[in-house]
Amino acid sequence: MSQFPERFSAGSTMTDGDYDYLIKLLALGDSGVGKTTFLYRYTDNKFNPKFITTVGIDFREKRVVYTANSPNGTTGKSFKVHLQLWDTAGQERFRSLTTAFFRDAMGFLLMFDLTSQQSFLNVRNWMSQLQANAYCENPDIVLVGNKADLADQREVQEKQAKELADKYGIPYFETSAATGTEVDKAVVTLLDLVMKRMEQCVDKPALDAQNGEGTSKLDAPPVNEKKCAC
Amino acid sequence: MDLSLLQALEREKVLEVLQRDKTLRSVEEDRIRRLKLELQELRRRGAKSFCRQYSERTCARCQRPLGKFWNSGAVCRGCSHRICSKCRVCVSPHEWKCTVCHAYRDVKIKSGEWFMEERAKKFPRETDKHDTIGEILLRSYQRLSYIAIVPPTPPPVQNVFTPPFNRLSSWKNSKGSPKPFTKSMEDLMMSFTTRIKKISKSQEDVRAEPDLLTVEHGSIDRSQSDTAINISANQVPCFQSLFKRSKEQVQERRRSSSALCGDEDTSQSSGYSGEKRGSSSSTSTDCGLIESSGVTGELELALAYSFSSSCFEVVVGACRNLTHGDTKKKKCHPYVKVYLLPDKSQSTKMKTAVIKNTTDPIFQETLQRSIARELLASRTLQASVWHSETLRRKVFLGEVLIPLDSWRFEDSSTQGLMWYPLCPKTEQPQGGSVEQVAGELLLRVKFSSLTQICKLNSTGIGPYEVGQFTVVIIGVQNLSSSKHTSSFIKGCLALPGEREMVQRTPVVKKGPSPAQAHQLTFSRVTPHELQDASLQLEVWEHAPFSVADKLQGTATLHGGLLWQPLQQAPNVWHSVSLPLRANINNRKP
Ligand SMILES: Nc1nc2c(ncn2[C@@H]2O[C@H](COP(=O)(O)OP(=O)(O)OP(=O)(O)O)[C@@H](O)[C@H]2O)c(=O)[nH]1
Ligand SMILES: [Mg+2]
Ligand SMILES: [Zn+2]
Ligand SMILES: [Zn+2]
Repeated sequence: MSQFPERFSAGSTMTDGDYDYLIKLLALGDSGVGKTTFLYRYTDNKFNPKFITTVGIDFREKRVVYTANSPNGTTGKSFKVHLQLWDTAGQERFRSLTTAFFRDAMGFLLMFDLTSQQSFLNVRNWMSQLQANAYCENPDIVLVGNKADLADQREVQEKQAKELADKYGIPYFETSAATGTEVDKAVVTLLDLVMKRMEQCVDKPALDAQNGEGTSKLDAPPVNEKKCAC
Repeated sequence: MDLSLLQALEREKVLEVLQRDKTLRSVEEDRIRRLKLELQELRRRGAKSFCRQYSERTCARCQRPLGKFWNSGAVCRGCSHRICSKCRVCVSPHEWKCTVCHAYRDVKIKSGEWFMEERAKKFPRETDKHDTIGEILLRSYQRLSYIAIVPPTPPPVQNVFTPPFNRLSSWKNSKGSPKPFTKSMEDLMMSFTTRIKKISKSQEDVRAEPDLLTVEHGSIDRSQSDTAINISANQVPCFQSLFKRSKEQVQERRRSSSALCGDEDTSQSSGYSGEKRGSSSSTSTDCGLIESSGVTGELELALAYSFSSSCFEVVVGACRNLTHGDTKKKKCHPYVKVYLLPDKSQSTKMKTAVIKNTTDPIFQETLQRSIARELLASRTLQASVWHSETLRRKVFLGEVLIPLDSWRFEDSSTQGLMWYPLCPKTEQPQGGSVEQVAGELLLRVKFSSLTQICKLNSTGIGPYEVGQFTVVIIGVQNLSSSKHTSSFIKGCLALPGEREMVQRTPVVKKGPSPAQAHQLTFSRVTPHELQDASLQLEVWEHAPFSVADKLQGTATLHGGLLWQPLQQAPNVWHSVSLPLRANINNRKP
């Protein structure tokens, strides 16, 4: 597991290109589940109790330090990551606009409201929207049940949600944008998945190199079976 | 999906987000450009220098010699070069890559290229595969925008990309009739101010926020095709900031126009000076015309050498993510041109066909050039991508320089297609070993076994069997010498054990001559000796009425390069062309 991202030096130098990765994540889910509030908590560590529904799309940014595990198990290098966190409108009338943005995101926070059974039932629909519009058939997704602080109003049980997440093979977190519980962890887990995915994509061996450079890999002389020098 | 379905206020809100996204994107594009330049640099530094014998085993990255048993290096899976243990980077406990391959992988991740590739697999038919949805929306919005500007009539700006003759004539037009000029000046200012108000939403002093002009830079040209604007009357045009902007743009344009000009047809350069004059006089109408055409994208190449036909082969696979050659019309008709620097003669240029209307062209063309393997080591492959706008007008889209001195053509596994990031023009190829090449020597060489002369197709000449090595000089190219001189060629075959054999052709008068006159025969050599032999050929100018003959150029053929083709097919003639290096100090023959 990678370490938690630390807060970047709180300067206002968010506009320069001094970072190693630009990672684009996107939050989706029904209107009112708390996407905007969740992202606001993550980037600014604040809570906004007012409900101002999102018009179309929006995004927030945050820079974090990501520490990868090096292959031999020790703590690896640190990288500066610029996160672009897309916030989408849950309202039906913006649907065509928001789903169009799915294609540019590398990872997804699929959110529902723990106090709304309906928002949980709609997770299925959002999943199929993702499959149709995201950059690949099985993108990295984290399922988030939000408003965990409102225990007395809870309509969705943890077991229920966990089962669904397992069915899709994705992590599940119960968060509260109001208190901040598990918010960071949900985002970091997604970031971690995306970072691993990037490596897999470029390191995939000759398998799908057939479209072009396959020959170079297949004909390569056998590599000496020596242990690596590092 | 488009934004016209949204209410005006909502649309403004979304556009504001898209503008923010655009700013972030431009920072990101800069960063990626930097990353790719760094990679290109690293690749250049990793090139082998020519001073070493080719047969010597060295690490392809640091050039340290490798032993036969001890520290023998291993082959990198990515590039198939032999790499010493110090120049490896672990990617997993069982896998390593050489420093250059690792950097390439790194750039692929850090630039988000992995993502584009994955997405292209799912949506292969999308043409704009590098555009984000935000970019597309912003563009389409600006196209239907009601905030527009009246195109200047006649529009001198549009002539920037047209051939010189057109340009000059329309420049005259605009000079002759100043009216449209002033008219467009007004329109431009008004559109600027309207736009600023839209953006800042504060009806306050425009002059106080000149920065906003930069925010909107680039949107004007897109809306140029649109028609009139509605402007409320009482707006104060801001002359200072407008003028400042214009001047900057002219400068930027000068920069980019020289970049555009590149090395293409010389007929172009005269047109350019005319264009520059033109632009300074039509300053105000030029605003927002040119977004400095940054080089983006990659070029897919495979390099190979055919020893049987002595041909260098470049497979031009494809390009992706090119910038539009015509930024204004978003048009691009790319083609690829290949040179083996320092040779830039027209006759040796290799070119692909032009692919129309795409920034991701697929060429799949093989370009060939007959050249000696030996000669390649001193060359740098220059593959440049051009946008073919008209017959005479080409726009430079980027280039890749690959020094060939470290390329292992003997290794068939280096022949696969590879993506190379495109770079802006470099002044001088950093080939390192580029020497003064005075010309080219065309030869045929043959090794024939004396004992097996009857068995013509015999490939089995034993290493210690005595044979005969014959060199026929077919011609000397590009050597600058006066027409009426005669010349002869001296050949010196240096064999292991300090043994040297010297042969000289008779003096030959200029003009077509019988090939026999140029024949050099070295008898009593064995394949084993040839393996480590080197052949030096000198072209001498014979001056019958002066005391000394003059050395004009030297060419060398040695080691495995000399031997390889001969060994592969004995008793057969092999064509070779060698670089002739100019002579520095005169010697006696
Ligand atoms: N108690 C509590 N309230 C929350 C929490 N998260 C969000 N809210 C409240 O839920 C309401 C809706 O939150 P938003 O973040 O605006 O919802 P959204 O998902 O962005 O909705 P749309 O933009 O319409 O798609 C707001 O009043 C928030 O204050 C939470 O964790 N706990
Ligand atoms: Mg919202
Ligand atoms: Zn090395
Ligand atoms: Zn390598």
